[in-house]
Amino acid sequence: MSGSVLEEPPTVRPGVVPSGPFGGRVSWRWIGWIGAVIVLIVTPHVLDAFWTGKVTGWVCLAVAAQGLNLLTGYNGQISAGHGALYGLGAYTCAIWVDHFDGQFLGGVALAAIVSFAAGLLIGLPALRIKGLYLALVTLAVATLFPDLVKQLEGITGGQQGLKMSEPVPYRGTVVQQNVKWVAPEWTGLADDQWRFYVFAVIALACFALTANLVRSRMGRAMVAIRDNEVAAETNGVPVARVKVVTFGLSSALAGVGGALFALWQTQVFPLSFTLTASLYFLVAVVLGGPSSVIGPAIGAISYGLFEDVLSKKVLPERWQSLTPLILGVLLVVLMQLAPGGTVGMVQTLRRRRLARRASGVLQPAGQTVDQATDPATPDDPATDDPVLDDPATPDPTND
Amino acid sequence: MSLLEVTDLSAGYGMVPVLRGISLHVEAGEAVVVLGANGAGKTTTLRAISAMLASTGTIRFDGVGMQRSSPDRMVRAGISHVPQGRGTIVDLTVEENLMIGAYVRTDDEVESDLARWFGVFPRLEERRNQVAGSMSGGEQQMLAIARAFMSRPRLILLDEPSLGLAPLVTREVFDRVAESVTETGTAVLLVEQNANLALDFATRGYVLESGSIVGEGSADELRGDESIRRAYLGG
Amino acid sequence: MSEFFQFVVIGLGNGAVYAMVGMGLVVIYRSTGVLNFSQGEIAMFSTFIVWSAHEAGLPLPLALVVGMIAGAAIGAVLFRIAVQPLGDSKANPLPVVIATIGLFLAVNASASLVWGSESKPFEKLFGLGALEIGSVSIDYQKIGALAVLAVEVLAFQLLFNRTKLGLAMRSVASNPESSALAGVPVNRVLLAGWGLAAAIGAVAGTFTAPNFGIDANLMLNTLVFAFAAIALGGFDSLIGAVVGGLIVGVLTDVAPRYIDAIDKMPLAPAFLLIVAVLLFRPEGLFGTRRVQRV
Repeated sequence: MSGSVLEEPPTVRPGVVPSGPFGGRVSWRWIGWIGAVIVLIVTPHVLDAFWTGKVTGWVCLAVAAQGLNLLTGYNGQISAGHGALYGLGAYTCAIWVDHFDGQFLGGVALAAIVSFAAGLLIGLPALRIKGLYLALVTLAVATLFPDLVKQLEGITGGQQGLKMSEPVPYRGTVVQQNVKWVAPEWTGLADDQWRFYVFAVIALACFALTANLVRSRMGRAMVAIRDNEVAAETNGVPVARVKVVTFGLSSALAGVGGALFALWQTQVFPLSFTLTASLYFLVAVVLGGPSSVIGPAIGAISYGLFEDVLSKKVLPERWQSLTPLILGVLLVVLMQLAPGGTVGMVQTLRRRRLARRASGVLQPAGQTVDQATDPATPDDPATDDPVLDDPATPDPTND
Repeated sequence: MSLLEVTDLSAGYGMVPVLRGISLHVEAGEAVVVLGANGAGKTTTLRAISAMLASTGTIRFDGVGMQRSSPDRMVRAGISHVPQGRGTIVDLTVEENLMIGAYVRTDDEVESDLARWFGVFPRLEERRNQVAGSMSGGEQQMLAIARAFMSRPRLILLDEPSLGLAPLVTREVFDRVAESVTETGTAVLLVEQNANLALDFATRGYVLESGSIVGEGSADELRGDESIRRAYLGG
Repeated sequence: MSEFFQFVVIGLGNGAVYAMVGMGLVVIYRSTGVLNFSQGEIAMFSTFIVWSAHEAGLPLPLALVVGMIAGAAIGAVLFRIAVQPLGDSKANPLPVVIATIGLFLAVNASASLVWGSESKPFEKLFGLGALEIGSVSIDYQKIGALAVLAVEVLAFQLLFNRTKLGLAMRSVASNPESSALAGVPVNRVLLAGWGLAAAIGAVAGTFTAPNFGIDANLMLNTLVFAFAAIALGGFDSLIGAVVGGLIVGVLTDVAPRYIDAIDKMPLAPAFLLIVAVLLFRPEGLFGTRRVQRV
């Protein structure tokens, strides 16, 4: 999948206009982060408890979507099984809190570790199963997961799901009560607000770490592998190691998202983690645009907005299926109009403006990483048979 | 009116321009060559003409504009393109390849044409039920050419037939093509790096350099030209 | 022992259905290089049309024909609007994979919207009778499925080896660019492939629906089994789809009866099969080895 890295490299090349307002002295990136933090701080005070709760749910999705974006957008390994890892994280956290009376945050950390391990485990065979086939296998995993959960009834509670409860002193004895988020006194916050902030901090940390990773050597290796694995290998990139670790990290993020989900719901059911969940993550990543750090957030929020605002509030019962219908159509349409997602669209527009300004400067021939060569680019007049008109595959002799 | 008239043709790949407004023409029954080094844009020219690639400018075939066409429609119009690297359909047999070449035809002379081309290329007849992918480069080249003829085109676009073939085999290929072309009166637009062979075969030529036409003339003129001799004919 | 034999026949009958869906997948895979993740849903939707036609009064076999034609049309249209605009999928399969996943969601949801979410009973095409051989009883329906499969295989052989369209399809599957240069209308051929796959899907769905009734999730499991079938048989082999389908059918039907754990997780053997084949023999039993192009 040809996507492009959102952030422009910090060095200014001749002929390239630096990106950012105030003449490029403050980059868009910093504005983005600061803006995000401000929005997060303000949100629970602007919204009522009900909506704060809803938005909290979106945060879980965003973290998990970021994981899938890492794997599929940056590293080119398509996975239709992300929902299973999300579920794994959720159940790990739930079991920790319920069976072992563990701390919430401990549950999140544990979920991250367990999912990471699972990701490594899947990543190993994924080395030999590529592309299409990997999508197939992960699809099967996603389909299998709910059955597996139901099978392990002992620990997971089977079909009825698992309610996270803790021992609470009550009238002289100890009873099991559903876990709750309680804001500590010193914050002066309501419970739902406190919960949101905890989630937001965790999410921000995940996003920041991801942003860092993506810009590091490891990140560049991931992209190199996505664009041309064999070439990357001949260039000395430790392909196997990078791919497996990416799977692990991506799964860890899914696990964290899942754990947060569990803590948000305070109960988990196998049917929350079916194939459809995996596909919705894919939608979120595609919507936001692959290979940008902010993309998954946009995707998750869009999906959340759609699901919670549009779908549940506006539509009657019978029309509940409208959500997957519209999401499905959206995927199809996006592939044609904006395969780079919303972020990709912005990128392309920006690039085209730059290109027009810098016209006359010839681009280097051959393939470049940020290719404007998706078949749907309106630059190229459409012919009747786009089978042959794919400019992404230049003539073998470069004639 | 020329059979093929190309005016101000520009084409490229994504943001990379390759052809920068070239013009050429081919008359009915004529053999024309486009010479040029690697990267000059020769193959791109042919791909633009047979509508494999989007382009700007005008392409008129028999007076009719062919700008937004598609490869299969070009075949119906009477242009057959033998791509670089032969492009035989490797999983089909020799005979099946030839039948595919006749896909657009609705007349009942396809079988007799098959026999005729087997006559011109006896080696193909020997291997008529053999899978194309198992044949040698030269045989595949002949198959590709025979396939192009099967649609009874009025113009054949021939892309570097000498590529990857031994000199003797290349000679044979060119001889057969010359024969067939004289017999059928088909025009040929040939693209070649091997200028010697090409200028023996063609009556007229163009020289392409970095996407622009830098020279034009009859085969003799081109052969006699100093700079062309140095650049493409080895002095 | 006769009980075992009975199970095997049931497994073969089910396997015939997986083989049918598998053949459709193979046709599309060979011509476009893509696994159509929405195959099952298109089949399900077409089967709903069969159901509606039958409810409207048509005898089931006729309703099936209606469903096949309607399904073919739907498959062709979906290809035209969702896949064709994405260009050469052999060169760049990822957008097409995502598009088919989008179709998966959309078609599944559409079926729920049109026919509701309740499961509806579906009649057996070959009736309720059974063939009695000694102490063994074999449903006519299972025999029928195998017979229909045989007919389909024959039809494919005729199509591919004796018709112009079939030759064109094989040509496009091998080399779409050269086919176009030879005059083959590539997109129309791909369109035909999708239509064909959808039509077979309707037949497969008609055999699946009587088991638990028809609803939007009819083909979810079947799709996974079909994938397992073609993984085993080789993604580009029609024969492989048939053999693979039958093997998967028998395996998934017989194993749960003897191994309890599998009974609770019916998809597990199929899943393990997919993983094992892809890891150790990615070309399956009958597929062609792929050479990695640098």
